Amino acid sequence: MNVSIGFSQLKDPILAANEAIGQATVGLKNSPASLAFIFTSTEFAHPLVLKITNNLLREMPILGCSSLGIMTTHGVFKHGFAILLISLNEQTFFNVAAVKDIDKKNPFVAGSELGGKLLFGFKNVPRSLSIIFSDKLITEGTHLINGLQESLGKSFPLIGASASDSFGNRKTYQYLNQEILSESCSGILFGGKFSFGFGIKHGWKSLGKIRYITSSSNNIIKEIDELPAVKLYEEYFAKNRKDLAKELQRISIYYPLGIYLPGEKEYLLRNVISIEDDGSLVTQGDIPPNSKIRLMISTEDSRLAAAVAACEEAKSNLSTQKIKFLIVFDSAARLSIFGRQDDIELHVIKDIFGHDTPLIGIYTNGEQAPLKSINYLGRTYFHNQSIGILAIGEQ
Amino acid sequence: MTPFVFVGICALFAILGISLLYKNQRLKEINDKVSALNFSLGEMDEQAKLIMRTDMELNKAQEELDKKISGLDTLQKLSHEISTTLEEKQIFKKISNQHVEDLGFEKSLAFLWKALEREFQLYLCIGYNQDESAKIKTAINANKDYFLDLINKGSTVSSEFIPEGGNLSINTFNHLFLVRSFIICPVLAQEGNQGFIFVGTQNAETAITKGDQEFISILANQIAQTLDNARLFEKTWRSQQELELKVEERTRQLTQALEEVNKISKRKSDFISSVSHEIRTPLTSIKGYAAILLTSKLGALPEEIRSRLEKINRHSDELVHMVNDLLDISRIESGKVEIKKEALSLKTIYDKIADLFSEQFKSKNITFSNNIPDDCQEILADRSQIERVFINLVGNAFKFTPENGKISLNASHSNNHVQIDIKDTGFGIPEDAQEKIFEEFYRVDNTINQGVKGTGLGLALVKQIVQAHQGRIWVKSKLGEGSTFSFTLNAAK
Repeated sequence: MNVSIGFSQLKDPILAANEAIGQATVGLKNSPASLAFIFTSTEFAHPLVLKITNNLLREMPILGCSSLGIMTTHGVFKHGFAILLISLNEQTFFNVAAVKDIDKKNPFVAGSELGGKLLFGFKNVPRSLSIIFSDKLITEGTHLINGLQESLGKSFPLIGASASDSFGNRKTYQYLNQEILSESCSGILFGGKFSFGFGIKHGWKSLGKIRYITSSSNNIIKEIDELPAVKLYEEYFAKNRKDLAKELQRISIYYPLGIYLPGEKEYLLRNVISIEDDGSLVTQGDIPPNSKIRLMISTEDSRLAAAVAACEEAKSNLSTQKIKFLIVFDSAARLSIFGRQDDIELHVIKDIFGHDTPLIGIYTNGEQAPLKSINYLGRTYFHNQSIGILAIGEQ
Repeated sequence: MTPFVFVGICALFAILGISLLYKNQRLKEINDKVSALNFSLGEMDEQAKLIMRTDMELNKAQEELDKKISGLDTLQKLSHEISTTLEEKQIFKKISNQHVEDLGFEKSLAFLWKALEREFQLYLCIGYNQDESAKIKTAINANKDYFLDLINKGSTVSSEFIPEGGNLSINTFNHLFLVRSFIICPVLAQEGNQGFIFVGTQNAETAITKGDQEFISILANQIAQTLDNARLFEKTWRSQQELELKVEERTRQLTQALEEVNKISKRKSDFISSVSHEIRTPLTSIKGYAAILLTSKLGALPEEIRSRLEKINRHSDELVHMVNDLLDISRIESGKVEIKKEALSLKTIYDKIADLFSEQFKSKNITFSNNIPDDCQEILADRSQIERVFINLVGNAFKFTPENGKISLNASHSNNHVQIDIKDTGFGIPEDAQEKIFEEFYRVDNTINQGVKGTGLGLALVKQIVQAHQGRIWVKSKLGEGSTFSFTLNAAK
């Protein structure tokens, strides 16, 4: 397996795509590329960019999404076009597919449909991993995952991310070949000879009393300890609902809700994205009824320690295998919290995997990854505010 | 029931009673502990709330600090980049997406008021597409009086504060600029065009702080200052261009005049040359016949006729001399005389001149001396021409130096040149005549000069010869004290 990464910050999207693809092609030397991942900032999400990319890559399978920022070995960039070209071994198989208009369909059905498309041609091939990129506006992301797992298998490793954008645009894009999609989910299924290691962590710690979800539906928490859910935040931050709503984004990313998961070292985080008129909290991802929850808090050290732990876990999964490249799924909330030190996690990753290991990453609005504890049988869950490291290796 | 059984039952009840009492006691203790634990848990939860609130304040402070550092850093970079720009449009091109983002916004516009067109023109557009920016421009020009008023008052407007009395609300601004928070700050240039800069964000969480307003205000001032500098530079540049054009025009006129002068000078030289040749032929005949008559070969001459013939002969000589000088000047001016430079010993020239004038010096008891240092012993000059310079200057000195006077020839060396000074203790030359004496036919108008014969061509010829040697000639003189004629020649290496 050979990989090469290209990146351009040229303002003209066409020129940028051309430059980045040129760099990646040169970097791959004479190996024939089999697959391309492209990640771009929102302003590069233009049909012409996909068209020229597709032309330059001679109709090679392309997968990717837009992002608030792009991480490469050289730094963290808010604007640009990044491409990862992979030359796979003959024994490695893959299939790319997408499902559109998820919210209009039943997300569960859409997930199941995507799973079915990905499985096409995999009849006698052992499956290894699926990576998906979904729109951040999909409110029932958990159901999408459930649908996918219905097709691919409940314990099948499924890793993914919800694309992110600058806070105002409220629109994200998913890429499949020369199609630029929204409210969709694109994905890839790897099989055959394919090794990977994965780690995901967040670094938030619980604080305060355990609370019980006494009434909830999907991603809406109606009551906590039989009181309107918003009371929890009102009490803790001594703010009325109006003031709380004003600062909700900031408060929510610093102090998300944590769902207690027996057997897991970390709580499963949930960002609050809005407050309903009846005091219900709308979260990014489902919260099952009767869950034990707590408010969560973090420090810079605890967040960085989580990044280290995620890297170590991904690395240990591959034991003695040579790591060929990394794909980083880092929460956009973490980027916002680290502020001026936006590349601090990149340094941590490079220190652990070595400065020469090819790396490409995106900032996400929710991460999909399996839980580790045996209780969950490797089932994929929807995470918030986490950093996921996917290390691809070769024996 | 035997007493034994009765005692046993009583003992059992007693034990049960004691046990119940003990259990009640334990239950009470456990309840107390649970209450204490609940109380502690409640207290810890309250502490957790305090920790959360404190942490939130710290995070806010940290974010504000980060924002300020980032803002200051951006302003410093922008200030440096903008201040080195001297073209109005280039000033705004220096502001990039990254700069605006580092200041905490993602959209920015800058408009300048063009008095001639009576409209605001767009100079900076970040975060908007063409259609959006065109719509905003139209809306701004539709409300131009409002924005001109803002500029005149120097008021800063933001989503946190809008001055009273205007017809535009915060919502109107948000709708117009497609943002949720914004700052509009006037660009108050003194010399250049005035206008305003807008920054905004769609992020609902971004609240405009006083610090944000200060940063944008500093940026607007910096832009205004640079616009002033650009305008001043443009003015200076235009003046310089006008001056250069004038100089060019004047140079062209002077070149034309010089060409005309040269043409006239050439015509004059040609005329003098031709007339001189024409004069010299009959003059030679006149002088020849006068000389023959004076030899008395054609018969003895009465004294009166002899004296008249001698006068004719003498004046003919003077006329020939004058014609020769005129011809020489004409030849040198027209470049017909070839200057053959060679290394000449100044001492030898001095000796030759001293020998030539020895009888005349004796007649007026004039001392002729020299001071020729070792480093200027040799000059590079045309022998025959340069000797004429020395003869003319020493001859003039002799003519105007009274009896018992002094004439000296001094030399000094500097920068490959030898300066030769011929100094006398003669009558001196009036200051107003010192420049003119090198002109052809000029003679100082005074009684001394009237007693001394001359054509007014000697010094003109001297000047032409010195200039033909790439040298320079000048005079310093004071009436009654004497004159010093100085000229430069190349030193022989």
